[in-house]
Amino acid sequence: MVKKLEIEFGAITADNVEQLRKVNAACFPVSYNDSFYKDVVARKNEGLNKFAYVNGFVIGAVCTRVEPIPVDASSSESGGDERSRLYIMTLGVLAAYRGRGIGTKMIASILEYYEQHKDDELSTVKEITLHVQTSNTDAMNFYTSRFGFVKGEMVENYYRRIDPPHCYILSKQLR
Amino acid sequence: MAADNPQAGQGRPLPKKESDLFKGVVKHYEVKQYKKAIKQADSILKKFPNHGETLAMKGLTLNCMSKREEAHALVKKGLMNDMRSHVCWHVYGLLHRSDRNYNEAIKAYKQALKIDPENLQILRDLSLLQVQMRDIKGFGVTRHTLLALKSNAKMNWISFALAKHLDGDLRGAVNVIDIYLGTLTEDSPELERGFESSELAMYRNSLLAEIPDNYEEALEHLDTCEKLVVDRHGLLMSRAKYQLKLGRFQDARETFMTIFKRGASEDYSVHSGYMCSLLEMDDAICEEALNLDGTGTLATMMPLSAEQKQKLKDVYIGGELSEELPRSHAMQRIQLTLREGDDLKNALDIYCKKLLKKGAPSLGTDLSSLFLVDNNGRYERVTDPVDVKAHPNYAMIVQLADGYISSLSSCSKFAADDNDTEEDPSTLLWTWYLRAVLHELGGELSEGLELIEKCLEHTPTAVDLYELKARLLKASGDIKSAVECLDKGRELDKQDRYINNQTTKYMLQAGMEETALERISLFTKHEGNPEQNLFDMQCSWYELELAACLAKKEDWGRSLKKFAAVVKHFDDFHEDQFDFHSYCVRKVTLRAYIAVLRYEDTLWGQQYYGQAAEGIINVYLHLHDNPTITKEEEEPDYSSMTAAQRKKAKAIQRKKKKAAEKKAAEEAEKQKAKEEAAEKENGGKKKQNNKGSQAVVDPDPLGKELLQKDPLEEAKKYSAMLSKYAPNSINTWLLQYDVSIRRGKALMALQALFKAKALAGNVPNSEVFSRIVDFATKADTLKGDNPVVQEVVESELAALLNGGSISDFVTSAVDHVKKNPLSDLSYRVAIAKAIVSTKTSGVADAASIVIDGGINGRGVTASCCHEALVTLKKFGNEADEAVTKWSETVKTKFPLMVETK
Repeated sequence: MVKKLEIEFGAITADNVEQLRKVNAACFPVSYNDSFYKDVVARKNEGLNKFAYVNGFVIGAVCTRVEPIPVDASSSESGGDERSRLYIMTLGVLAAYRGRGIGTKMIASILEYYEQHKDDELSTVKEITLHVQTSNTDAMNFYTSRFGFVKGEMVENYYRRIDPPHCYILSKQLR
Repeated sequence: MAADNPQAGQGRPLPKKESDLFKGVVKHYEVKQYKKAIKQADSILKKFPNHGETLAMKGLTLNCMSKREEAHALVKKGLMNDMRSHVCWHVYGLLHRSDRNYNEAIKAYKQALKIDPENLQILRDLSLLQVQMRDIKGFGVTRHTLLALKSNAKMNWISFALAKHLDGDLRGAVNVIDIYLGTLTEDSPELERGFESSELAMYRNSLLAEIPDNYEEALEHLDTCEKLVVDRHGLLMSRAKYQLKLGRFQDARETFMTIFKRGASEDYSVHSGYMCSLLEMDDAICEEALNLDGTGTLATMMPLSAEQKQKLKDVYIGGELSEELPRSHAMQRIQLTLREGDDLKNALDIYCKKLLKKGAPSLGTDLSSLFLVDNNGRYERVTDPVDVKAHPNYAMIVQLADGYISSLSSCSKFAADDNDTEEDPSTLLWTWYLRAVLHELGGELSEGLELIEKCLEHTPTAVDLYELKARLLKASGDIKSAVECLDKGRELDKQDRYINNQTTKYMLQAGMEETALERISLFTKHEGNPEQNLFDMQCSWYELELAACLAKKEDWGRSLKKFAAVVKHFDDFHEDQFDFHSYCVRKVTLRAYIAVLRYEDTLWGQQYYGQAAEGIINVYLHLHDNPTITKEEEEPDYSSMTAAQRKKAKAIQRKKKKAAEKKAAEEAEKQKAKEEAAEKENGGKKKQNNKGSQAVVDPDPLGKELLQKDPLEEAKKYSAMLSKYAPNSINTWLLQYDVSIRRGKALMALQALFKAKALAGNVPNSEVFSRIVDFATKADTLKGDNPVVQEVVESELAALLNGGSISDFVTSAVDHVKKNPLSDLSYRVAIAKAIVSTKTSGVADAASIVIDGGINGRGVTASCCHEALVTLKKFGNEADEAVTKWSETVKTKFPLMVETK
């Protein structure tokens, strides 16, 4: 049987952000620009941006940000009531360490962080969302079956350099 | 008028007012209120401008305010005005002491004592200088005087005992301590258990043990002082050692057991002693075994008989010790050194699996300590890939690792039939890593690199992988790529000082001294000049690497400068002991103090000093051999030129000078800008820094002054230091030869050759060989006119050449290589050179020594292969074919090697 791995979480800082580059380069077909890494470091939020360690080495990372929900024109609500969401920018585990529950633990820890802070720091957060490439059924199953995310609309030509270029928006209402 | 004028001194006191002022001067000096001291001195001098003691005190105060010149002038003037004042002489001594001019200081103190023989302060100061200078007899006399003057002070007793000890009068030292203890009343706290009484007792005990054949008394004394002693471990170790020395092996064994039980299970020297007691080893072996470094034990020091091994196994494997220390890592490692064959393999299997699961990058290096071979009754670790690969333990470990890899890759278990659960993914990573280290040890660099690539793909976030890859690249002869790789690894964790230092080191080896400074500066203080900061921290490794880097770039002045910095550190280390002379006595840390003094006596035998001295000698010898280097900056000889030539030459000279000045100015500008930028960064702290950085402006950053010195004289100076302090290093004598031969000192050169040859032993040494050949070719011109010298040179040379001619000597070396196909590549290169230079044979034969089998022998490093190529190229057209062939051979072995000029 496949053994689950013991993991520890750690902060992403200016001193070790290069490791995030290594993880992302190994996990994703798209490369992120420098401002992505700068922002992650600048945000200094260990609860939403973190490394996963096994045996003392970084083997995965999750990066999340809080962003406002765009007010669409049809919405009857007028300003005042601020609405935002958690957006999962990246979730990656090095290939050799996959299939052992690490991704699950990372997402769970993000949701846990939300639960702890939904009345203060994250009081305006209503949902958690991410983009998934239309071909990536594994990822869609991971989020929908394990965490109850719902597949939303398809965004055409979301990605520029990979095929297929389209993606779905997955989201889960938090309150 | 002169008769009642106190300013003439001669013992006449100052008037009351001035006398009080003078006391104020001394007081303010002592509490470092220098400005006030000067002010008061000046008001005395206003009335009595020639008062000697005041002049001297003012001088001494100025000296503390960094006004050295003025200070010397004033103190001298004061002394001249009052030669009969002990104060003036004392101050004169203190001034010399602050210049580290100890011999002069001692003379001055002694003068002062002639005038005031019972001045405690001066006696104390004198005794410190005497012990610092190792004037042991004088130290003894001074301490005796002090003890006689003040026999109720503990410090005086202890110091007198130390003086006796240093003078070799061990019994006398013990007696002094005993008399002191006798002066104490029975209820004195000095006789109760406590740190000071404990240290004094243990010091007394160490004295007893130092007396030849006196372990019996020392052992008994341990029993009597046991209740006083707080250093339980020290006491038990001494007891065990004495019991060993006295042949009471059963007692020793029990004492060692007690030490283990107290928690010293990971101390390998305790294991060594325990083994000695078990095997009842003789005195010399016990002594050697107890002084082993690191993880060495009796079992790795020398080959043991099967019977002896069995005895050890009986306690180490399932015996009294393994029961007592079930969780000791040292136990497991020692067990490996006792086993052989399949027994060893099974144990290794368990050991490796355990550490691979944990993820221990050091496993490969750890296991390499098992590659031991017998050399004249002592074990030696083999390191050359040829020998490593031939070692049975290497093959065994490789086999195990290969087995793990194939099994882990297919089913994530160490063995397919393993019932255990699957291993973590990192286990495979560290097994690959272990295998890559084994490739490295076996000289299989390409295979190692291939595996490390797999590791990097598996876990690109592990810093250790980058380090190993860089090491492999460097060994492959591609230092630039090694630097790039290491720098990438460094970026992963910018708080890792180790990887940062390693990157710096590689950069210096790759000739990138500016980037190297940037890297190491990430970990120095962020204010001021980082180079100065590194100097202040006595960062010798950096300075040595930088000096070597600069020498490679033929920047001789700056290189000397950096080597000299390391020499300066050693002077400071030596100076540092000054503080301990009084401190240690006060704190009664006497055993440690004696150890410090003994260490200081051998200070210049330390490796870093040796490296610095070697670097300096080599640079100066190069400057001696190429005198044009230092002459360049001088003006050419105009007198022999025509007017037109002269004009032209002068114009060129002017231009050169201008260019040099401009460059220097630019450098200065750059430096200034840097400092300003640094200061800006620190904002408010500017004021503080200013003080620090101004004091340390180096008037000669390029080392021009060092270049102006007589190169041979300087080289001689350092070579003499090495001969004195590092006589057991073969390098010392090679350098001594190089210096002596240039100074035309035939006998010294000969002596150096014999010493080097003796140290090299049976192993042929390329450096010794080429110097013997060198001496033989120069012997005729070196002999000189002195018939005695001539005779010695002739007979000793004959001994060096084994009685034959140079050609015979070279030919016998050739025969040796033919009989020993694994002969070192550097030895082959030296022989090839000698064949050609002595015309023993032709170029073809010379080349053959290198190209026929040279690549399969020992010492095949990228740099040595390159050196062989350079040598072959120098042989001219005749060697063209050999050059081509050797180049191809090297390319196959080192495909990544980057051609350097």
